[in-house]
Amino acid sequence: MKLLVCIKQVPDLESRFKANAEGVWYNETDLAFRMNEYDEYAVEQAVQLREKLGEGTELTVLSIGPDRVVEAIKKSLAMGCDNAAHIQDPAASGKDPWQIASIISSYAKGKGFDIIFTGMQSQDRGSAQVGVTVAEQLGLSCTTTIVGFDYDNGTITAKRELEGGIKGVVKLKTPALVTCQMGLNIPRYPTLPNIMKAKKKEIVAIPVADLLSEESLATTASFHPPAKKGGGIVLEGDVADLVEKVIAILKDKTTVLR
Amino acid sequence: MNFELSQDHKVLQSAVRDFVEKEIKPIAMKIDEEHMIPDALVKKMGEMGFLGSYFPEEYGGAGLDVLSYAIVVEEVSKACGSSGVLISAHTSLANGPIYTFGTEEQKKKWLPALNTGEIIGCFLLTEPNAGSDAGGTTTMYKREGDEFVINGGKIFITNGGYLGTGVLFASHDRSLKHKGISAFIVDLKSPGVTILKNENKMGIRGSYTTAFAFDNLRVPVENLLGQEGKGFNVAMDTLNGGRIGIASQALGIAEGAFERALAYSKERRQFDQSISEFQAIQFKLADMYSRIETSKLMIYKAAWLKDNKKNYTMESAMCKMLASEAATYVTKEAMQIFGGYGFICDYEIERMYRDAKITEIYEGTNEVQRLVISKLLLS
Repeated sequence: MKLLVCIKQVPDLESRFKANAEGVWYNETDLAFRMNEYDEYAVEQAVQLREKLGEGTELTVLSIGPDRVVEAIKKSLAMGCDNAAHIQDPAASGKDPWQIASIISSYAKGKGFDIIFTGMQSQDRGSAQVGVTVAEQLGLSCTTTIVGFDYDNGTITAKRELEGGIKGVVKLKTPALVTCQMGLNIPRYPTLPNIMKAKKKEIVAIPVADLLSEESLATTASFHPPAKKGGGIVLEGDVADLVEKVIAILKDKTTVLR
Repeated sequence: MNFELSQDHKVLQSAVRDFVEKEIKPIAMKIDEEHMIPDALVKKMGEMGFLGSYFPEEYGGAGLDVLSYAIVVEEVSKACGSSGVLISAHTSLANGPIYTFGTEEQKKKWLPALNTGEIIGCFLLTEPNAGSDAGGTTTMYKREGDEFVINGGKIFITNGGYLGTGVLFASHDRSLKHKGISAFIVDLKSPGVTILKNENKMGIRGSYTTAFAFDNLRVPVENLLGQEGKGFNVAMDTLNGGRIGIASQALGIAEGAFERALAYSKERRQFDQSISEFQAIQFKLADMYSRIETSKLMIYKAAWLKDNKKNYTMESAMCKMLASEAATYVTKEAMQIFGGYGFICDYEIERMYRDAKITEIYEGTNEVQRLVISKLLLS
């Protein structure tokens, strides 16, 4: 079997973000980068399946971006992926989800991947479109936001997280693509011996120009921090009135009293 | 010249950070209070490869380099100085001399269990009257047939309480001073080994500091480490490398205290502004960070020299001295920035302050480091 997991490197969310000179994305200077959290669940699930299926299964990890994304690739290799594809693109952050998906599809086409794992969304752009678009472009069955995964004899059984905490179970035939949500698993730590072993695994570098022929469908017009909010609401009056007001606000703005 | 970590080292650093954040930081205070690192954590650190980072894979090590080892000790010590010294003493002082001076048979026999953390190692040199002056060793050995018989005692043995594998130094003739000393690999579970006590200490309270008595401890002749009478060389070479580990521990303690002090200085408000807006605090932060970065550069340089098989004696002495003095300085200033809260155990700064002091003393006092540095300058 052939498995593919797609990962993105994103800035540490505790970073202080500033807009870049063009005002359409964040300035990368001085930011610390790490693997997108949802992609870690995807890697862990893919590695678990790889271990379950054993010999004869090959797990490839793919990432698009500048040289720094090799760090995230190496982490995935140390977690248990077999080999990697680094799609070299210093301008990946300026591409829209359609272009990113097209690059992945163009790479995966004809390679016969049985299952593709992606994160539910990236923590920086957060479009949640790349995985499903790849599935559509490659004609794969697809399900999203999975929190449980099982595979047996050509069929995936995935537990999905729905609105309001409700769960659903979906069965789909391979080839398929799943997008992974928090709660699916606890990603393993790359151990030192596995970091060493990862050094010997192959990382194929492919210039993005070899894979991308699509124009972007959407462009980012501006990137800016949220406007500063005013202070909280101060309620005044006697206690009975206050209780009524608080209940009204809770009913209106939250789900706790519904 | 390039001062940036390689991508492989960055992957390692981030992996260790994640582990420390989830597995060590939440229990660091408990480790100090209970004077014990939980066995489960020791086991997990072994599984992570923290206890054999730079030894070859054929001996159960992770096969990485000394810089990786320094990074591991540094990151672990940011959260817990006790866990940091466990790794440092075990790796540099037990696995290290066996790897450097051991025969192929000795390496195959002893290293795999040490490198994977199944057994914890220690280094038995210090005695009540032989600290910096190792030539004063009074633990004696004599040969009887195919065995050496050892009598005497050792004190201040880091990791001794685990009763694992020790590298022990003993003399066969006190009049020969350091030339009478030999090194032995000993299984501390053998008959004749008694723990006199595990010391109650000011800092690194989770780490065992053990006093031993040896009463007719019998060691097979094949456990002689290096040549007979060359034990002093084994000890000096081992301590040389060990200084990089202790420097990394000190650096980690300093960084841990600095991170907390920096964050606190931005949160704490007095006179309608955060205290980080006062120049008195800003200057403290500048001094603290400069000492941290200076130490880090020297540690990484010493590690790089060792990895590249170059002489690193002076750099290891300098990095140990610089980092340990940075640790005591930074933790003291961090406590000052925290004010009264720093003195309260809940804020962890007081633990780091207590943990820092020993780094100026063990693995060669800083006075000995200055001796090493000046001797090399004037030789």
